[in-house]
Amino acid sequence: MSDIVNVSYLAVGPEIILTLGAVAVLLVDVFRKPSPRVHAWIAGFTLALAGVVAGFQWTAEPSVSFSGMISIDRFGTLATFIILGVAALGLATAWGMVERLGRRGAESIVLVFMAAAGFQLMATSQNLMMIFLGLEIASLSLYVLAGISRERVQADEAALKYFLLGSFASAVFVYGVALTFAGTGHLSILDLRQFFATYVVLRPGVTLAAMAMLIIGLAFKVSAAPFHVWAPDAYQGSPAGIVGFMAAAAKVGAFAALARILIAGFPFYQDVWSDGLALLAAISITVGMIMAIAQTDLRRMLAYSSVAHAGFILTALLGGPGGLAAVWFYLAVYTVQLIGAFAVVSSVAGPMGAQSPLSDYTGLADRSPFLAGALALFMVAMSGVPLTSGFVAKFAAFASAWAAGYEWLVILAVLASVAGFFFYLRVIVLMYMQEPAVAEAPGAAPARFQAVGAVRWVLLIAIAVTLLFGIVPGPLLDLVRNALPL
Amino acid sequence: MADFVIRNIWLIILLPAVGTVLLHFLGRRIGEPWAGWIASSAIGGSFVLGLIAAMPLFAGEAEAHVVHVFDWIPALGANAELLWDPLSALMVLVVSGVGTLIHIYAIGYMHGDERFGRFFTYLNLFATSMLTLVLANNFAILFVGWELVGLCSYLLISFWFVRPSAAAAGKKAFIVNRIGDFGFLIGLMIIFSTFGTLSYSTVLHDPGSLLGAGAATAVGFLLLVGATGKSAQLPLYVWLPDAMEGPTPVSALIHAATMVTAGVFMVARTSAIYALSEPASIAVATIGALTALFAASIAIAQTDIKRVLAYSTISQLGYMFVGVGSAAYVAGVFHLMTHAFFKALLFLGAGSVIHGMGDEQDITKMGGLWSKMKVTAWTMLIATVAISGIPPFAGFFSKDEILGSAFGRGGWYIVLWAIGLITAGLTAFYMTRWFVLVFLGKPRWDEGVHPHESPKVMTVPLLVLAILSVIGGFVNTPFKKGLEHFLEPAFEGVKLAHEPEGALLWLLAGVSVLVALIGIFVAWTMYNRPEPTAEPLAAKAPNLWRRMANGYYVDDVYGTLIVAPGKLLSAWSAFVFDKKIIDGFVNGVGIVVRRISAALSPLQTGYVRNYALVLAAGIVGFVIWIIGTGGF
Repeated sequence: MSDIVNVSYLAVGPEIILTLGAVAVLLVDVFRKPSPRVHAWIAGFTLALAGVVAGFQWTAEPSVSFSGMISIDRFGTLATFIILGVAALGLATAWGMVERLGRRGAESIVLVFMAAAGFQLMATSQNLMMIFLGLEIASLSLYVLAGISRERVQADEAALKYFLLGSFASAVFVYGVALTFAGTGHLSILDLRQFFATYVVLRPGVTLAAMAMLIIGLAFKVSAAPFHVWAPDAYQGSPAGIVGFMAAAAKVGAFAALARILIAGFPFYQDVWSDGLALLAAISITVGMIMAIAQTDLRRMLAYSSVAHAGFILTALLGGPGGLAAVWFYLAVYTVQLIGAFAVVSSVAGPMGAQSPLSDYTGLADRSPFLAGALALFMVAMSGVPLTSGFVAKFAAFASAWAAGYEWLVILAVLASVAGFFFYLRVIVLMYMQEPAVAEAPGAAPARFQAVGAVRWVLLIAIAVTLLFGIVPGPLLDLVRNALPL
Repeated sequence: MADFVIRNIWLIILLPAVGTVLLHFLGRRIGEPWAGWIASSAIGGSFVLGLIAAMPLFAGEAEAHVVHVFDWIPALGANAELLWDPLSALMVLVVSGVGTLIHIYAIGYMHGDERFGRFFTYLNLFATSMLTLVLANNFAILFVGWELVGLCSYLLISFWFVRPSAAAAGKKAFIVNRIGDFGFLIGLMIIFSTFGTLSYSTVLHDPGSLLGAGAATAVGFLLLVGATGKSAQLPLYVWLPDAMEGPTPVSALIHAATMVTAGVFMVARTSAIYALSEPASIAVATIGALTALFAASIAIAQTDIKRVLAYSTISQLGYMFVGVGSAAYVAGVFHLMTHAFFKALLFLGAGSVIHGMGDEQDITKMGGLWSKMKVTAWTMLIATVAISGIPPFAGFFSKDEILGSAFGRGGWYIVLWAIGLITAGLTAFYMTRWFVLVFLGKPRWDEGVHPHESPKVMTVPLLVLAILSVIGGFVNTPFKKGLEHFLEPAFEGVKLAHEPEGALLWLLAGVSVLVALIGIFVAWTMYNRPEPTAEPLAAKAPNLWRRMANGYYVDDVYGTLIVAPGKLLSAWSAFVFDKKIIDGFVNGVGIVVRRISAALSPLQTGYVRNYALVLAAGIVGFVIWIIGTGGF
């Protein structure tokens, strides 16, 4: 490590811009009381500018700055790109909610920006304490977002549960940070690697316990079983418009941090942590698939399916550095599918709506062919049918685990994927092959739903991405292959 | 300039692709006639780009360019790679050139159609697909184009899908092509398992080193199966006559000039493989010759203005197969090109007649149009002479080169040459009959029909194609083999068959011209009379005539032997096998899992304390597991 302290504003450029954008939204809101359109311009401009700065990061030489706290590398930059994209799509989906909230609409934009900045810090930090800070910034924003409607008891309940359990997980993570320091005397990921390469640890118990707790804290955020218990309630109770963002951004940030800590910090213990991750993956895939089948609410089903998907991404991570490309590809395409699915959900349930019983979706194809078609595509993609991005993602993940010697897990995952068809296809069957449920009031026609405004574009983009990277995955795979941590 | 276009040769595909997307979303709003002009300029732009990129090739540069666009499926050797060599250049120019003329023509022909914009969406999609097919540098991209043109063909045949016959014809084309594709795919699998890649650069560069003679024969036969489907050869030709249900510009573009030649192109492209296998080459040539004769004999007895041309197309495609099967690849591709000119012209002229006659297609109800439709009639006369093989029109040179090369190879090929010669006579006969019945004699129109010449937007393409049909043959004459020099680099390493030279050349040419003249003369004396529709041949051999008129009842035979049992089998699989066995298994799995799942659901109580308990148990368990595996 050089003696000169390097300070590169580029390293935190996107986060600074997001923060300034958040401040701008708040100030304009206080002094001008503008229409939501003005907020939309500010938000769009902020995200675009952050994206441009992230583009500069992509071409910059990898480096570490702020006394080894933050790094510029393509690993973190790719995460920044995905998070910015997720934030843009998520905000567009939630725009109906932003408008509906009136004065508090600006708050929700600010919270989305803060959450995005937090997750980006998690992905770019080289220091466990910084990762923890990012985690908390993002988590606190998400807790508030979950309860932002304040009109419904379910939302408050969901937010409170999310907060309580999330604090629990944060505590475990920070305990893991403390134990890491206790065991090695280091908090920087690069120093950790150096330490393990230099010294022989005779009694690794403390260090291993620390590593386990770091894994658990992040596994909670990505909703891997058995640390997923918060997810179904949070997905179901939060405002429909924002759930997609909450779920997708958290997965990207937490998986990035997990991959960096384990691959860059603990490569010495790869045998140990990959066995542990394989265990978590197996539990997640099994629990997610089995529980998803019994759900009668689409959002709970998506929550359990996201548990299973967390398992698949863990499966990809088993390949170590060689599996990173599969992790990134999976994250990039799955987050888009997830936001797309929730865009449909929020069109049907309304932007503030809670609960999405499957009975809302019977016969949807006749009433809202575009929404039904889009949801059907996302279901097909999530189940991993060829010619969608979901197939390529699963294939890459399985290939990574197979190469790492986890054949048993791949077989289990393939079987679970087959079982998964059952509940994904059930949604499609409901939409296309069944009559709508009889309306309660005689003579009342079943409601027609439409994707309004920005949601329409979100759906079109999600559809395009899902099909494009299913048919032509090559360019994206090439791109993510470059995204290695320092 | 040319370098830039060659390096970005994908632009040629991109232009019509952009047109497709644009018209798909805005076609209805743009409406008539601008949707048509947008589509025409997209494909016209491709033609201009093709010309620019072909300049170095015209100037004699022999180097083939492989343009890597992006990685697609590297594991299969199937990247998005395009090949720019003389063969693909020629195909691009034919497809986009003739395509542009037909696009423009269609603006007039489709005037007033409700789905005007959609029609041009499909036409541009077809252009995209066909250009992909001919520019491919590996079998995977070729296959993508191959399937996409099939899809476009289906969409356009059944464009007027409210007519049950059109819908059925589209379905038939699609299904018959599936049979061909089945063989084609197996062929590709053998190629992949032998070479470990689908890239032309490996497979077609000295295939003999890995592919034994037996394997080459197998691949050759399987690819031929695919080619017979796409290029409407025996025994899979049955879909093409029915394809005439589509709008006439479609018949001209897809079912005469371009798509149906994909089989010929593919055989020419894989010439390195066919060069390894004499039996496969003979099979190609023999199927071609038999198809040529068979289809020509059916064409004689047709009364629908487009069905005559459809059987004629099948017959002419047969000639091309004879060419590529005799290793006269240049001759085959040459005929492909000239045929694209005069057959597109014939179809467009037929469309002009149908347009002028108020949708009448029965040639027994035409006659006497010469004075009413001057431009159409003159251009059709040129086309008729060209296809009949009268010098110096385009068809003469290309057809003669094929026949001469076949004769020159000797042996079995002499028989094929004889069949080709007879077919040449029949061709001249049925085309003269067609021309006389449509344009000469006294009017036999239905009441209320007032024929009129078509608008400029339709006749100008006719004139351009007519000029090409006159001069198109001069690119490769026995005196100056321009096309052969041009194409030779594409067939590097393949021993090409050549026309005989000297006195024999003149003798063969003389014989075939004589045969053609006899055909014209016989037809002229039979039909240029006051009562031309009496069909003198029908009176002499009524049974044979009836069989020819009905295409030898091949459709009925296929219906009884293949379609009916096929329907029974699919009914059984759908209602017995799938329902009882497959569904039973799938539902069984689903039900078991669902029971487990329902039993576990109560665990998710909704109480935070229970959740926290699960979390705590998970944390303790996981930490113990990690320490247990890693050591304390």
